[in-house]
Amino acid sequence: MKVSAALPTGVAALLFESAKRRRGMEQRLVARLAEAGYSEAILPILDYLEPYESLLTPASRGELYRFIDRDGEQLALRADFTPMLARLLAPRLHSMPLPLRLFYRGDVIRYEEERAGRQREFYQLGAELLGVPGEPGEREVLRLFLDALAASGAGADRPVQVVLGLAGCLDRLLLGCGAADPSALASALARRERSAVRRACPELVPVVETGLPERPEDLGEAEGRRLRGLLELRDELAGLFPDADLFVDLAEFARHGQDPRLTPEQGDRSYYDGLVFRAFAGPSALPVGGGGRYDRMFRALGAEVAAAGFSVSVDRLLEAVP
Amino acid sequence: MIRLALPKGRNLEPALAAFRAAGIPLLGLDPGGRSLRTRLEEGVEVLSLKDWDLPIYVEHGVADLGIVGSDVLAEVDGDLLVPVRLREGRSRMSLIGRSGEALPEPGGQVRLATKYPNTARRLVEDRPWGAEIVKLSGSIELAPLLHLAELALDIVQTGRTLQENGLVEIETVAEVAACLVVNRASYQRHRALLNEWIGRLEAAEVVS
Repeated sequence: MKVSAALPTGVAALLFESAKRRRGMEQRLVARLAEAGYSEAILPILDYLEPYESLLTPASRGELYRFIDRDGEQLALRADFTPMLARLLAPRLHSMPLPLRLFYRGDVIRYEEERAGRQREFYQLGAELLGVPGEPGEREVLRLFLDALAASGAGADRPVQVVLGLAGCLDRLLLGCGAADPSALASALARRERSAVRRACPELVPVVETGLPERPEDLGEAEGRRLRGLLELRDELAGLFPDADLFVDLAEFARHGQDPRLTPEQGDRSYYDGLVFRAFAGPSALPVGGGGRYDRMFRALGAEVAAAGFSVSVDRLLEAVP
Repeated sequence: MIRLALPKGRNLEPALAAFRAAGIPLLGLDPGGRSLRTRLEEGVEVLSLKDWDLPIYVEHGVADLGIVGSDVLAEVDGDLLVPVRLREGRSRMSLIGRSGEALPEPGGQVRLATKYPNTARRLVEDRPWGAEIVKLSGSIELAPLLHLAELALDIVQTGRTLQENGLVEIETVAEVAACLVVNRASYQRHRALLNEWIGRLEAAEVVS
């Protein structure tokens, strides 16, 4: 019998050189994370659906591969490491010494429309830092992210671009300008639609053009302070990583609002509630990785702990290695 | 160097006119020529692409920016920035039927022919009637005319073709414009130049 070698849409088999390249990249990244004091968490590919119900958005629910197990339980294939790790740690945190530094690697499986560059199974590697609140935690995670990108070898021919923002810091402006649909305005801002933004909220035009408000205080006192802090962190890290281009662009994360009125139905993974960042390597607009602070997720799972982390897509990084 | 993707077809002329008006002359470009990529003196390379392929080229950074119709953009749903829309060359996306026809009664089920199945599916979701969507690749007007489908969803520019064939626009669904689209990563890298171009297009009042 003749057997076809065809695979389902969105998955790939790596043989020979491509397998070697993937493993090589993985080892470089893992070595960097281990050096930084992070220890590995090995997580299952299958889990109950129920613990994630409160964390899912319509968009992330649509990406899940769900099914009923033989014993009648609803299961889902792993689509994201961060919530899985969070839901496993939340009930046990009280007996663990903080801070915790963990990394993971493995496949995540998400349903994506069939399009170039969008795999349904892809290999991720990431790190989570629990128990270091505020700016020190964010600095550590961001430094490690930049370190990992440098170790990956991506960006040897053109700088890796890292875009930084703050989830929720535009909420006051978005809600305060009297737009009929503030959530639609947030989406327009994220697409940098100038005319729509100018019509609805002229104060946001500088954010479209430069990524920043005219003055940090335009965001309100507390948010202005956070933004100043982020700009300082950007300058500090730019000095340490001269091979990376670091930008603060609040419009890039306009859809990461914290106010329920700004929660778009379809949208980015919305669990970040502080620093948020993503990186581009090579020409593609598909990010090679990203992360941020997500204290709120643990709160939703009944635990009070500061949490920040990042993940990278190993295959997209490989594409960006010259 | 920055790479600009220009569409073949109906959006090309409005795109060139807008760039000219904005003082971005694209000197050395031969729009009627067969060249698929042209390197211009101004540090710009122009790619000539089909409308339907253009978003993927921009999303993957092969081109940094491009001009593409909002009809295509809504259908392929790429992750692109859309800073401005051109004023020239506007048309509309409409539901089309034979003259004398109206929208289906609530609870009704019809066949709907279109080049835009995703857009059609989203449209029908909110309706009290249902539709079987038939994807065609051209001459959509023929479908209602020859009774392949009761309705068609397509672009209408002047409406003359419809009139000549005994068809009518039953409902205008959306305005269609040629949009300037920009790659997310390029927007960070070439921000100064892109802001300058967009500013000039705005100052020339050829975009909104």
